[in-house]
Amino acid sequence: MAERTVVSPVWLGMEQQRWRRLTSTWMMVMLLLFPILLLLGAFMRIVQANLLPTLLPEWFYAVMTLHGLGMVGTWFVGAMAAVSYILTQYVRPSRKVSWTALGATLLGVVLLLATTLVGRFGVGWYFLYPLPFYPAGIWPTWATWAFLFSLAILGVGWTIWAVDLLRAIAQHYSLRAALAWHYIRGETEPEIPPAVLITTVSLISALSGFLAAVIILVLSFLEWAGTGFTNDALLMKNLIFFFGHVLVNITMYLGVVLVYDVLPRYSGRPWKTNRIVAIAWNTVLFLVLFAYFHHLYMDFVQPQWMQVLGQVASYLISVPAAVVTIFSTLLLVYGASMRWTLSSLLMYLGVMGWAIGGVAAVIDSTIAVNLRFHNTLWVPAHFHTYYLMGVVLMLLGFAAHFGLEVSERPENGRLAKLIAALFVIGGYGFLSMFYVGGAHSVPRRYAVYPQEVMQGVDYARIALGFIAVLFLGVLLYLWETGRRCALAFRTSESS
Amino acid sequence: MSQVSIFYLFVVLAVFIAFVFLLVGRSTRQVRDVAYRAADRMRKVFFFTLTGILTVFLGITLPRMPYPAHGQLPDQVVHVVGKQFAFAISETPIETDEQWEEVSSFAPPVKVSAGRLVEFRVTSFDVNHGFSLYAPNGQLLAQTQAMPGYVNRLRMRLSERGRYTVLCLEFCGSAHHRMRGVFFVE
Ligand code: HEM
Ligand SMILES: [Cu+2]
Ligand SMILES: [Cu+2]
Repeated sequence: MAERTVVSPVWLGMEQQRWRRLTSTWMMVMLLLFPILLLLGAFMRIVQANLLPTLLPEWFYAVMTLHGLGMVGTWFVGAMAAVSYILTQYVRPSRKVSWTALGATLLGVVLLLATTLVGRFGVGWYFLYPLPFYPAGIWPTWATWAFLFSLAILGVGWTIWAVDLLRAIAQHYSLRAALAWHYIRGETEPEIPPAVLITTVSLISALSGFLAAVIILVLSFLEWAGTGFTNDALLMKNLIFFFGHVLVNITMYLGVVLVYDVLPRYSGRPWKTNRIVAIAWNTVLFLVLFAYFHHLYMDFVQPQWMQVLGQVASYLISVPAAVVTIFSTLLLVYGASMRWTLSSLLMYLGVMGWAIGGVAAVIDSTIAVNLRFHNTLWVPAHFHTYYLMGVVLMLLGFAAHFGLEVSERPENGRLAKLIAALFVIGGYGFLSMFYVGGAHSVPRRYAVYPQEVMQGVDYARIALGFIAVLFLGVLLYLWETGRRCALAFRTSESS
Repeated sequence: MSQVSIFYLFVVLAVFIAFVFLLVGRSTRQVRDVAYRAADRMRKVFFFTLTGILTVFLGITLPRMPYPAHGQLPDQVVHVVGKQFAFAISETPIETDEQWEEVSSFAPPVKVSAGRLVEFRVTSFDVNHGFSLYAPNGQLLAQTQAMPGYVNRLRMRLSERGRYTVLCLEFCGSAHHRMRGVFFVE
């Protein structure tokens, strides 16, 4: 039984131990940041519930920026680390690069903490140009600099990391083969595991997103350096949303890699690349470039063909996800002699959350609907669904799998079910208040709700109860899995 | 469709998905083989149904894009300029910071005629803001971004009379939630 679940790298012994140490370090960083960032989210709901009436609103916005960037970053690096570990079955990524990325990430986090919690830098997670340059008396100049600097560090660290993974794949398969075009032609040699295909698609997109980020940073530095040059607001918006959209989407795809690779170990059925899988993921590679236009529907000056293309691409990109990944997950589980563990439960629920969040996203990607949903609470509603109830569950499922496999300590089946139940009740309850808020015209990113949208206060209060339930689930999860990851760290060889 | 009915549509779809996942999850209590042929047929049916439904919805919703049509003239033009942290709304153009100050602090609220085609010409003097129309009953009717260097034109026919509130719908800094404007439909 234990044999079947183990991720075995192409090399064993010392090298395997070192990968375990690296991966357990990443998992512990992820599992440490998660509850802290969750509490920052709870803090925002407390403020919106009017329970801290004397708090200055700039603190809300600084915390919002930290929570948003922190969460997006944490799940991205968590997914990269988990996928790297999975890929060691097939290829040889560099451990050194991953440790370097960890160093860059920690440095970036420290700078980000300083800019937001000391500097009160509050621009929201996607720092829409030109807001960083208009502090309205709140944050000092050094905070903007430190922020841009921390983005640059993170950007460099993560780009090197993505490039190294692609290098490892290319050395073993060649990138063309890794994209599985030969499957589309009907050949099945060389065999490409789905994890390799999806990672390749994700990382190519990631690099295009990071390129946009570099352009944003360079343009910002140019303007900020006082050369008299000013940027075009519409161009900057396009670049920023392209970057943000790609970063969020590839995090989801990397989460899906984990499901493709780990869930079959619990269902006892294989999940192989075939023609449909190859077509689906190559379609995604293409469409993800155009779907980002849906962030700019309310910029009426954007050329109209882009708006139409945005809606068409956003609608169509849901087809490969639904018909291939979600349908196949159901097929993998249907009537299988499934071992329901904490890991397989969370991953299965994660695919469900991805599907539900996807429906909410497609609804909002309708231009005529976006006219009334854009920047209301519907937006955090849908992205929290596919993050919190999607990618996060997939990654927590991976960490549970990893902890179980390395520590070899059997888990408590009852506790696993209890944790899953608390996540579902707390998570969807918390989300429902965002959705109800969006349906009742409550704007997103309001520290205090004005009298026209007072209903937002009640929704925030109800959400707090659900957040408490979720937090309890997270604590139990950390007790189960955090311990195992720590054990994995202690018992694995240091490099 | 109002926001609330779209919300219900979403709830129905979400419950359906959860139900399917629950059924499939429970099916593992009794181990059985999957008939892959039948499953492939089902996948094809699913593919064509989903693509069909999405295409129909594209057909229904794309013609309802809110962007101004060519060759049609509005009955009334209203100028809107956002700036940290207020909207200046006026029937005459606002071109300087002084005019903006004047309009946003002292000018009486603009009056728009009910049922006529109004064009809001929306821009910003500093960062991005979001111009929105909240009806007297508190429902968000429409919005467009207020962007520095660009003018977004939002056209509307407002039939319900009364006081409309403009809330800022793009995060613009520490007083974003206090940024507002007002006008009347008569
Ligand atoms: C229980 C856990 C969580 C709670 C209580 C929570 C709470 C919140 C709240 C209250 C907001 C502000 C909503 C508004 O616009 O008014 C927010 C924004 C946000 N959250 Fe969460 N959140 C949670 C988990 C997550 C997760 C897992 C992610 C993963 C990426 C995430 C990412 C974000 C982002 C990106 C924003 C937007 C920040 C911005 O507008 O700049 N959150 N969250
Ligand atoms: Cu504003
Ligand atoms: Cu604002």
